[in-house]
Formats: sequence, structure tokens, C-alpha cells
Amino acid sequence: MAGRRIVITSGKGGVGKTTTTANLGAALAKRGKKVVLVDTDIGLRNLDLVLGVEKRIVFDLVEVVEGRCQLRQALIRDKRFDSLWLLPAAQTREKEAVSEAQMAQVIDELAEFCDYVLIDCPAGIEHGFRNAIAGAREAIVVTTPEVSAIRDADRVVGKLTAAGLPLRLVINRVRMEMVKSGDMMSVDDVCEILQAELLGVVPDDEEVIDTTNRGEPIVLDETNRLAAIFDKIARRLGGEIVPFTNLNAPTLFGRLVTLWKAG
Amino acid sequence: MRAFDTAGAARVALEPVPPPTVARGRAIVITSGKGGVGKTTTTANVGAALAALGKRVVLVDADVGLRNLDIVLGLESRVKYHLLDVLEEKVKLEDALVRDKRSENLSLLAAAQTREKEDVDTAKMKALIERLRDAFDFVLIDCPAGIEMGFKNAVVGANHAIVVCTPEVSSVRDADRVVGLLPNDWRPELIVNRLRPHLVRKGKMLSVEDVNAILRLPLLGVIADEPGVIVATNKGEPLALDPASETGAAYRAIAAKLAGEEVAAPAVRVSHGNGLLSKLGSLFGGRA
Repeated sequence: MAGRRIVITSGKGGVGKTTTTANLGAALAKRGKKVVLVDTDIGLRNLDLVLGVEKRIVFDLVEVVEGRCQLRQALIRDKRFDSLWLLPAAQTREKEAVSEAQMAQVIDELAEFCDYVLIDCPAGIEHGFRNAIAGAREAIVVTTPEVSAIRDADRVVGKLTAAGLPLRLVINRVRMEMVKSGDMMSVDDVCEILQAELLGVVPDDEEVIDTTNRGEPIVLDETNRLAAIFDKIARRLGGEIVPFTNLNAPTLFGRLVTLWKAG
Repeated sequence: MRAFDTAGAARVALEPVPPPTVARGRAIVITSGKGGVGKTTTTANVGAALAALGKRVVLVDADVGLRNLDIVLGLESRVKYHLLDVLEEKVKLEDALVRDKRSENLSLLAAAQTREKEDVDTAKMKALIERLRDAFDFVLIDCPAGIEMGFKNAVVGANHAIVVCTPEVSSVRDADRVVGLLPNDWRPELIVNRLRPHLVRKGKMLSVEDVNAILRLPLLGVIADEPGVIVATNKGEPLALDPASETGAAYRAIAAKLAGEEVAAPAVRVSHGNGLLSKLGSLFGGRA
């Protein structure tokens, strides 16, 4: 079996790559899939925190690549889901400690025994980005409805396309009341600018900050609306056709559209 | 000068009076480790507020390939040349500086959008910041996320750092890492950004004290989370210039502090008393 190899990327930092990786991974695991999450943010790892397994780290990605341990030894099993695993990044090393070829090899090896390998990409488009996409076969671009995030996402979409990776969008932290009042771009605006297919829309929810601080992915809380949303994203990823909740309002950002038309 | 080196006593007596020192500007890098915590917004707002105080300010976008400072300032359509054009001596520095629409005192040196961070020559970057310090009171360098080449180039010419951190464990952990990577003799100052006092009160967000119990940096300011920041960014109008905005006032207080004026303590202060600190403590006491 060869699992799917998906990189979660954005260009801009802080738009929710790590939170999306953790929650999507948990949602897939909840549906019985075997999932490995790979933190490629060497030096600034955080996926372990979001999953609440930071104290269980013994080995990391760099040690695997350097042959100091077996791949399986470095994998940490999630506390809640038996079929969810984390391969943590090293905290005190540099992104250059791993090459693109080494990364691709690790991802290939992981894909042999699981359904999904979700690769959490660092911010930016430097070495860490190139590593993160090296082993991927498809991409999820996470963005927020803000000009700066979309400009960065646009740049990343260009790089992913050049690398031949098919991609879909997750639009994160949408505030409906702001979209309605014309203070935030709508989902349609974002898709039009980026010319990319939509995978999911995640509303802004302050509970995310708390669950991140506590190391418990929000999908564990069945009563939270985000649990249902990540489950839908997981199903869409699996090929199901799941309708979108309509989050649009009839607004268009003139300044943005001119910004992109001008190049 | 060299001749005096062998004769200590004579050297002291004969040391010429040093020429009057020309006041050079401060070069301050705004950094965080984690992305999306508000570096660019902070750079734009503190810069605009310093300019409003009459300081000569230049903002340098060091995020080559993913520039955004021009958007936050609403100057994106006025950018003709960029940082790499200057470093590669394709244009003169004066021609690459974009004058702000609102203030004579504020200029932007934009990053290149279609180049890579690895294209920046570190030694030339350092020299450029040195040059800017001769012409401006403040050189604010907007650092990219991460700790790769882009970070190193953003820090190389600076002589001071402002660390921006949000009250989230991941942001605190990344900020702590960045403080460790800055030169040992610096004393970086901290801005806690996007604080939501009602969440702190409910014990669902780290307080300023929680954050600084880990980072232990001089607190330069606290900025509350407000949707107005997103609106201001989309419009390209820094909140610091809006006299009615509380967030704007907080940025103006930070600028006044940097300019050496006496300022009252930050307005947003919320006492802690939640259980989140224990998570942080164990996090930082554990395995590196």
C-alpha cells in the first residue's frame, strides 16, 4: 500500500498550517485511517505542542536521517488515536541538516505503511519549504482572508505548480460578520484571486488558541463546530463530495483585485 | 595612532580629542521566530508613530520573496525598485526608497518579490543598514518568519531587537528560541501582541506575566487583539495614525518609549491566575 503524501503549506506564517495538520490528521484517524504527521519545521517545531505529546519525544526527524535511530523508533503514537502518529522535528538543529532527497526518502518510507502522510511545512519559501514539498505528491494551501496572507499564498501556489503538485485551498479564520460588513474578503474573492480549488473553509474560533495551549486538537470536542468542519475536510480529501456551507456575502475588494491584475 | 600603542603613558596624554560624534540612527530588527504574530504590522505602526513624533524613519522589508510591508503601508503600487536592486547596485539607494503617502519622515525599502532570500549578500546587507543609520534616526527591519537565511540577513546590520510574541505556547517557544539566536550582548525588548483580555480572565489565554515569566525581557508594550487590525491592513492604513484607535495609542506609546520619552505603563494589563503557566513551565524545563 502506498499512502497519500500531502504537504500543508502557506507561505505566510501563523495562518494555521500546524493547527490544520493536527486537526485534519485527527479527523482522518477518527475515520479509521492510518495517519503520520511529519513536522518539518526544524528548529521551530510546534506540532508536538498542538498534539500535546511534547514530553514524549525521544528521537526526531534529523536523527532518523542521520541514521541514529530507526524510523519507527522516532514515531510517537497519539494519546487518543491509535492510528495517528507524529514524526517530530529537531528543535536545536537547522533546516539544512536535512536534504530534499533525504526528506523524500523518509516520506516514501512512511507512505508504505499508512494511508496519509501529512507534512507540516515551515513558514517561508526557503530550504525548509523545499524540504517539505520534496516528498509530497499533493498540497493543501492554507490561507486567511487577508491581503498579506493571500499574496504569500499566491507565491506558494506558483512554486507548487512549478513543482507539479496538485493543490487545494483551506481558507482559515473566516469571520462571517466581517465578511458581511465588507471588512473581510469572502471565500469567493480568495478563490478567484488564487484560482485554486476549495477544500475547506474554517471559521475563526477563539477556542483554537486554548486547545492549542492545552495540546488537544479541537476535533476531540464533538460539541465544537470546528470538529464537524474538519471531518468534512477529511471526507473531501478522501474523495467524497461534501457540500460547502455558504459563507459568502456579496462583496469584492477593489483594491485587491487591482493589486493582482497589476501583477 | 599606531605609534602610541607601545608607550602606554604617552598614549593617554597624547590621545587627540575625538571628533564630535555624529548621532547615528538605531537599527532595530523586529523578529519573532513564528510567523503571523504581527511583525509586519508592528514594523509599520511603530514606524508610522515614530515618524509622527518627528523622527526620520526608514522601514526595511527583509522578507525577500514574501514581502508584505508595502501592502500594510498601502504603498504597493509605488514600489519601483527593491532591496536587491540596491544590494546589487542596479539602482541608487535614494531611488529605491519609497516615500510614505502620509509622512515626509517615513520611507520604505521594499523587498524583492520574485527573488530568493539566498540571493542576499550578508556583508552587503550589513553595509546597507550602516548607511541607512547615517541618514535616519530609526532603521526598522521587518524580519521574515523562521530562523533561516532570511533571519540572519535581517539581524546582521541591526544593533537592537524587538521580539513580537502572541500569548500562545507555540509563539512563546519560538520567541524563546529566537532570543537565544540573537547576539549575547543585546537586550531585546518584548511586545506582547494580540492579547484578548477576556480570554485571559477566563483562564483560556496566557497573560502578559505568563509570557514574560518565560522570556524575561523588558516589556516594550502590549497590543490587544482587535478586528480593526485586519481592516487596517486590507486598507493599507496603519492604525497608529488613527487618533481614535486604542490600538493606535498603544503603538504610539511604544514609539514614544523608543524615542526616549517617558510613558505610562501599557494600558492593557490583565492579571493572571490560570493554570496555563504550568504547561509552559514544564515545556521549557524539559528536553531541548
